[in-house]
Amino acid sequence: VLSLQSLDEDCTLEEEDEGLVEEEDEIDQFNDDTFGAGAIDDDWQEEHKRLAELDERDGLGGVLGMGGGGMGGELDLGGAGDSSSTHLPSSADRGGGGDLAESLARLILEADPAIAGVGAAERPGPSPRLPPGPPPSSMLSYQQQQHLLRRGTAPMGQMNSHSIWENSMGFGPVSLTPGLVTHMEDSPLMSIIKEVGLPKRPPQGRNDEGQDLSERVPPPRSSSPVIGSPPVRAVPIGTPPKQPMSHAMNHQIHHPMAVHVRAPVQHRYPPPFPERLSPNTLLNIANSPLCRGPFPPGVLSQMQRAQLLNSQVAGFPRGGPAPPLLPGGGGFRPFFGGPPPPHGHRMGPPPPHGPPNHTPPIRHNTTHLHPQHRRMLTQRMQNRGGDRGRTGGDRRSRDPYSNLMTQKEKEWVTKIQMMQLQSTDPYLDDYYYQNYYEKMEKRQERERDSSKKEHTTKLITPQVAKVEHTYRPVQFAGSLGKLTVSSVNNPRKMIDAVVTSRTDDEEKREKQVWNKRRQILYTVEKMYSLLLEVQDFEKRFVQTSVRDNERRYQCVMIMSVRKGKRLISRLLPLLPSPQAAAVVMAIARNLPALAKKDKQDQVLCWLVEPVSAVIQSLSSSALTDLLQELQGNEGQLATVLHNKFGVTLLYLILSEGERMQSSDPNCQLMDDNRWTELVFSVTRELLSVPSSSLSPPLFTPPNLLSLLSLASTHTHTHTHTHTHSGMLHLCCFGWTSRHKENQLHPQLDITVKYRSCQSKN
Amino acid sequence: MNYVPGTASLIDDIDKKHLVLLRDGRTLIGYLRSIDQFANLVFHQTVERIHVGKKFGDIPRGIFIVRGENVVLLGEIDVDKPCDTLLQQVSIEEILEEQRLQQQAKQETEKVKMQVLKDRGLSIPKADNLDEY
Repeated sequence: VLSLQSLDEDCTLEEEDEGLVEEEDEIDQFNDDTFGAGAIDDDWQEEHKRLAELDERDGLGGVLGMGGGGMGGELDLGGAGDSSSTHLPSSADRGGGGDLAESLARLILEADPAIAGVGAAERPGPSPRLPPGPPPSSMLSYQQQQHLLRRGTAPMGQMNSHSIWENSMGFGPVSLTPGLVTHMEDSPLMSIIKEVGLPKRPPQGRNDEGQDLSERVPPPRSSSPVIGSPPVRAVPIGTPPKQPMSHAMNHQIHHPMAVHVRAPVQHRYPPPFPERLSPNTLLNIANSPLCRGPFPPGVLSQMQRAQLLNSQVAGFPRGGPAPPLLPGGGGFRPFFGGPPPPHGHRMGPPPPHGPPNHTPPIRHNTTHLHPQHRRMLTQRMQNRGGDRGRTGGDRRSRDPYSNLMTQKEKEWVTKIQMMQLQSTDPYLDDYYYQNYYEKMEKRQERERDSSKKEHTTKLITPQVAKVEHTYRPVQFAGSLGKLTVSSVNNPRKMIDAVVTSRTDDEEKREKQVWNKRRQILYTVEKMYSLLLEVQDFEKRFVQTSVRDNERRYQCVMIMSVRKGKRLISRLLPLLPSPQAAAVVMAIARNLPALAKKDKQDQVLCWLVEPVSAVIQSLSSSALTDLLQELQGNEGQLATVLHNKFGVTLLYLILSEGERMQSSDPNCQLMDDNRWTELVFSVTRELLSVPSSSLSPPLFTPPNLLSLLSLASTHTHTHTHTHTHSGMLHLCCFGWTSRHKENQLHPQLDITVKYRSCQSKN
Repeated sequence: MNYVPGTASLIDDIDKKHLVLLRDGRTLIGYLRSIDQFANLVFHQTVERIHVGKKFGDIPRGIFIVRGENVVLLGEIDVDKPCDTLLQQVSIEEILEEQRLQQQAKQETEKVKMQVLKDRGLSIPKADNLDEY
C-alpha cells in the first residue's frame, strides 16, 4: 500500500496495479511488499533490457557507479553521506520501497546490528568523489534501478565512464546485481567486459611497484537494503587487511578482548612495521634472499621482493611486540630454541634453508596447548620436515606463482581461526582435552619423584573474558511509543502453535506406563545435570581458593561483617579440610579483634557448629597449633575468655584434645609437651580471671564433666560449685593433678563427685 | 608450519598441488594459491579431471575459485609418487563422449526402475535432489 502511494506520477504501473487490485478481492500484501509495483512480467523484462542498454552506454559506471555526480542532482536518491533531514521529504516523494527503507534506517537511533542501518553504514571512500552522487551499487535496490530507468536516460550522458577505471579503489564495479547477471550471457555487457577488460588489477597488478596485494578490495556487495538484512560494509568481512591492519580489524571483527592467563604475545594488532628489529630478525632478512636459491631471472620482480621483505618484516613483530609484552615474549625464547624466526612463516624460503635453519617450529600461540602436546607435535614436525623439506623446497623456490598469498594474509586467516578457538570457559568448550591432560599431569606427578618438581608442567588455557551484551531494543526517532522491530536479537513469535493432548482412556493407560518410564529417565537426566553442575562448581571453587595468604586476610575482613560471618559459617563445611583448618586458625588468631567487632555475640556463635566439626577433624598437631593460636599474644586469652564464642572455642579444643587422648592410644598429643604446657597456661589464665567476668559458653562438652569428676584432694579448696566456672576449675585441676600424679581414680569416686557437682548446679 | 598445532588449517597447503572434490561431483586438480576463513579456495592451473571407468580425461580450466561450502574433500597430491598407473589418460573429446554414454546408460536404468516401481504403485524420490530442499 505504501509503495503505491509513493510511486511517481509518470509511472504507468500505478494504473495497472490498481486494476489488479480491483480484480482480486484479497490483496496479497506480502507479495506487494516483496515485489512492489514492479512485479509485473512484461514491464520487468522491458526494464531489464533498458537497464542493460544503460549499462552498456555508461560502461558499467552509471547505475552502479562510483562515478560522476551528474546523476545525483537530478535523481537525488538520498546519498548516504549527506545530511539526512533535507533529503527526507524529497526522498519520500520519489523513490520506491528502497528509499523508504533508507529513510526508515535513518530514523533508527540505536543500532541493533541485525537491523540494517543502511544510511548509517560506513562509506568512507565514495563520498569525497561524488558529493551529491548516487549511493554505490550496493545501495540501489531493484526498485531504485527501475526508477532510474523510468526517469529516462538524460542524466546518464553526464557520466564520465573513464573515471571508474581511475578510481582510487583501483577496481571497477564488475559485479552487478545478481538478478541481472544471470541473464546477460551474450548481452552487450559481456562484450564490454571483453573489450575493456577486467580492471587493471592482477595479473598486471602484481608487477606494479611497491604495491601490496593486500590492498586489493573486492567490489562492494550489492544487496537490497531490506530491513533485517545485515548491514553492508564498505569492506566485506572476508577481505584481508590493508596496512595498517588495526584499522580494518576494528571495523570488522567484533569480539571480546582476550584476557590471557599467561602472557602470550598479542597477535591481533601488530604494528605494520616492527618498532625494533632485533639482530635476529635482521639476520633472517639478510639470509633468506640469499638462501632462496637460484631463481629464474626476472621472475623475482621488484614487487615480489618487496613482498618478501614485507612478509618477513611483518612477521617479526611477533617476536618483538609492544614493550609491555616483550618480557612475556622473551620468556618464550626457551621454547623456541635456536635462532628464532618466531612467526615469519614464509612458505617459500624456509625449506630451502634446510635443516640448519629449521628451528623447532613452536609458535608462541601454542600457549593453550599442553607443553607435552607441543613437544610431541614438534617431534612430528621435525620428522616430516626433514624428509620433505629439501625436495619440496626446491620446487617451491622455482615456482614463480608462489607466495601469492602474502604473509599478512596468512596471518589474517590464522587470526580469525584462532579467535574462533578462544573460549570463555575452556572446561565447557574443550572438556575432553582439559580432562585428558589433567589425567596426564596426575600420572606424571605420580611417576616423578619430588626432586624433579620443575618438570611437571601445567596446562594453562587462556580464557577470554565473558562480555555481557545487554540487548536494548531499537528506538525510532519521532515515534510515539516504542515500536517493536523483530530481529535476530529480538525474535517475535510468528506461529501460534498450540499443543493439544487427546484424552482417550485406553490410550491414557498405555501412556501412563510409557510416561512412567519417561519420568524415570527424566529424573535420571535431571539428577545427572545437577551432579555435573555440582562438580563443575566444586572444581571452580577449588581453583579459586588456592591462594592462601590472600585468603587469610580476606577471611578476617569478611568476618568483620555480620553477613560475612554467616557466610563463613555456611562455607566452612564445604571447604576441603586444609582450607577449613586455615580458616579456623585465622579465626582463632584474630579472635580478639573479631570479638570486639561482634559485640552482640549472636552472630559469632553461628560459627560454633561448623568450627566444632572442623576441630574434630583436626590432627593433634593442628589442634595444638590451634590452641596456641588462640592463646596468641599476651593477654589475648583473657579477652578470649570474656567472649562467649571464645570460651566455647576453648572448650571445644580442650574437649577434642581429651577425646583424642582417651580414644586413641597412639595419640601424639602428649608427645611433645606443648599440649600440656598450653593447657597449663590456659588453666592458669582461667583461674586468674575472676569468675564473674567469664562469659557463659554455649555449651559445655560432656567430657569436661568427666574430667571434673576426677577430682583430687587438691581441688577441694578451689571448688566453686555455683557457677559453671567452678566446674571448669575443678576439671582443670583434675586434669593437671592427674598428670602430675598419674593416678587413676576408682569409678565410685567419679560418680560421687559427679553427682555432687551436678546437684550443686 | 601450522600456526596453531593441534588444529587443522589450510595454511600449510598453500602453493601445493591439490585434488578437490566438489559437491556437484566434479574433480579439480590444481595448485592451491589462496584461502580464507570460509575455506574458499583459489586454484591455479586447474584441471578438471573426468573419470569414466578406467579412463580419464583432463580439461584445463585455468584459475578456479571455489566457494568453501561446495567442497566435499580436499587432499594434497604427492607429486613425487607415480600416478595414473591403473588409469588410462585419453583425450578430452573421448572422455566427454564416454561420460555422455555413462550418463545415458544411467538414465535409462533409472527410467526402467521408476517404471517398474510405478507399476507396483511405489515411488521413491531421487536422493540427489533432496539436498536442495
